[in-house]
Amino acid sequence: MAHDTDINGLSINKDARAMIARARDEGVETVWDRLAAQQPQCGYCAMGVSCRNCAMGPCRIDPFGEGPQKGVCGADADVIVARNLGRTIAAGASAHSDHGRDILEVFAELAEGKTSGYEIRDKDKLRALAGEWGIATEGREAFEIARDLAAAMMEDFGTRKSSLGFAARVPSQRIERWAELGITPRGIDRENVEMLHRTHMGVDNDYVNTLLHCLRTSLSDGWGGSMVATELSDVMFGTPKPVPSRVNLGALRPESVNIALHGHNPLLSDVIVQAAADPELVQLAKTKGAEGINLVGLCCTGNELQMRKGLPMAGNHLMQELVLLTGALDAMVVDYQCIMPAVTDVAKCFHTDVISTADKAKFTGATHISFDPRRGLEIGKEIVRRGVEAYGNRNPDRVRIPDETVEMMAGFSVEAILGALGGTPEPLVDAIKAGKIRGAVGVVGCNNPKIQQDYGHVMLTRRLIENDILVVVTGCSAIANGKAGQMMPKAAEMAGPGLREVCQALGIPPVLHMGSCVDNTRILVLAAALAKHLGVDICQLPLAGAAPEWYSEKAVSIGAYVVASGIYTVLGVQPPIFGSRNVVKLLAQDLDDVVGAKFAVEADPERAALLIRRHIEAKRKALGLEFRDV
Amino acid sequence: MKTVFVNPERCIGCRQCEFACTVEHSKSGDPVAALFEEPPPRSRIHVAPGASQLSSFPVKCRHCNPAPCQQVCPTGAIFRDAEQDLVLIDAKKCITCAMCAMVCPFDVLTFHPQANGMPTRTVAIKCDGCIERVRRDEQPACAEACKVDALVFGELNDLVRVGRVREAHAVLSAVSALEPAALPVPDHVEAWRAWGRSATAVREG
Repeated sequence: MAHDTDINGLSINKDARAMIARARDEGVETVWDRLAAQQPQCGYCAMGVSCRNCAMGPCRIDPFGEGPQKGVCGADADVIVARNLGRTIAAGASAHSDHGRDILEVFAELAEGKTSGYEIRDKDKLRALAGEWGIATEGREAFEIARDLAAAMMEDFGTRKSSLGFAARVPSQRIERWAELGITPRGIDRENVEMLHRTHMGVDNDYVNTLLHCLRTSLSDGWGGSMVATELSDVMFGTPKPVPSRVNLGALRPESVNIALHGHNPLLSDVIVQAAADPELVQLAKTKGAEGINLVGLCCTGNELQMRKGLPMAGNHLMQELVLLTGALDAMVVDYQCIMPAVTDVAKCFHTDVISTADKAKFTGATHISFDPRRGLEIGKEIVRRGVEAYGNRNPDRVRIPDETVEMMAGFSVEAILGALGGTPEPLVDAIKAGKIRGAVGVVGCNNPKIQQDYGHVMLTRRLIENDILVVVTGCSAIANGKAGQMMPKAAEMAGPGLREVCQALGIPPVLHMGSCVDNTRILVLAAALAKHLGVDICQLPLAGAAPEWYSEKAVSIGAYVVASGIYTVLGVQPPIFGSRNVVKLLAQDLDDVVGAKFAVEADPERAALLIRRHIEAKRKALGLEFRDV
Repeated sequence: MKTVFVNPERCIGCRQCEFACTVEHSKSGDPVAALFEEPPPRSRIHVAPGASQLSSFPVKCRHCNPAPCQQVCPTGAIFRDAEQDLVLIDAKKCITCAMCAMVCPFDVLTFHPQANGMPTRTVAIKCDGCIERVRRDEQPACAEACKVDALVFGELNDLVRVGRVREAHAVLSAVSALEPAALPVPDHVEAWRAWGRSATAVREG
């Protein structure tokens, strides 16, 4: 492996740098080595002009205009780029929506009394949701309501409806706009299946029409599958409230059994938290010489647990191999999404037991323990027991825990934010009107080794809060900002004078943790609530979204539903669309006239901050609020 | 003199030249069968990443004259084909001393058993200019595979002249404020590549 890259250029974090250095010393291959080995990466694919949808191909379009300009079927660059983007969004939306369905299925079984380790923890939220879905609550038991709610939500996955249940949350102006464009999401699974149909050869051969269905498909994720996941997770595991937590590899304890919970779905990890408190297992850990059992989070499973229980967070996407390199992790329990196939290879260099739990996500080299909600707690205990047993194989001489943890706060659900504001968005609206807060931005998305790890998230967020813009974060971005110390109330000192005053008055950080990546729906709900409160459309609000370090298909779906919901979005990594001028023009320019929002691509977070500030001030001006020249 | 000329601004890093070269130099010459051959066939062209993301350059033997590799080869295994003006290796004479690799200005020599198994031991391998194809009046496999004209086969002076004319047009249109001739890189490809430069600049601070 060639290591001509400076480690400091790969990550801004001390803990990551230390572990990358260890990987190099010990010859352990990581994501950065594999990215280097893949250079140069194919330009046809990176520009979106390669197509392998049929066996007359594969085909590619010469972006320079001299070679082939049409695939064998006759598709030009516009059609090929749009079809490829459509399939990417369908994959991302399907991932979120399948996660939502898994939660819904367990919720339905819980309502039937068939599960072990689950309960309805937030009955108020259950009743509120039932009210929204037109389900009677008066004088009924929670389980009865839950049965009806589960049945109603299952209908949203099918084809029998013309609009999703959560569409009632969307401001009427936006609903009308979607209806005019023919992009009202009808069924969660339906839009994804239709996208696969449309992108088959010889179906949707008009790139504009395909891109409109891209928006519809993404909306079936944002206002459908992901929203079902978030809302039912709150009902079953509790609606997050502000909670102190800690972050980075220092979350691992040298004297404890360390078990990392990695992936996205809280179904299993919630029962593992219960299992790890089992006195018998704690005693077993002590007989093995450990002080106790220490659970840490990784990626969005970590976010789900941090939001609800304050569970310490080991790291985000690019930390998943590095956490193994501490030599202090006894078990990595994975569910699904964003779990690199490489983790089992890195784990082989240590004693760590990688335990896969979802039958749809198996890993060669991992131990598979099939998750069954009917035996949830029993399986949770079996997994924790394996982690305790693996601790016995740990070599203390190989343990390197590189840094102390940083304090952060999590748990800012919409309910918690409104709670902090006194039950109404009025104080936030007043602060925006007065210009103390210029606007709000969701900084979300993944890590991507093409960007120095966490630099995009942290620098963009820093520049925004310095300029009195409230930032809400989810996913990898939340973890990055936590590590940078930007998510404690005292970080208000980093903010501009207006935002600082508001944060200090409310005792909140200037950067609010709103959860996992399915929880980007919380941001939609908050934006919709603000718009309805003011009687305007979402696209009129001084809001923006940013995904400075995105990598996944899910992130493309998120970006598309955020824009289709009316929020301008800046991507730090370019999507594979540059092979078509028309697609780029539509997404980065013309979409503004269609849905009131558009995309921008900007790798430099300093410049991205300027784009966003200009956008927010322009929206303020249009609303008749005081505005600044940026 | 015909050669494979490289337009580096055109290379988009797809590596299809490497694949075509490997198949061309396999025993079967078939893209599927080549995957299962033993010894595995090897590409003689190597697309190397450039200084910033989204840039790349296909590196191959330039068939120098005089060729440093030929000059240092102690067994006379490296020779020049007079008819096609290509530098070739007689594998049977190669003693795998790697002197050629040490002096090659482009580091294009690699060492593997030949796909046809003659001889079976590891020997020096490099671009043979697809001499059999050229004799049949076909272009080399790499140039044929390249759909973006990063690799172009033709008379060297003709190919140089194309670039010279383009340069001259650009310079003259700048001084006379005429519409410049078509740029070698269209705006949307330039926009794609600009992200790579920006991302690299951010990383390097």
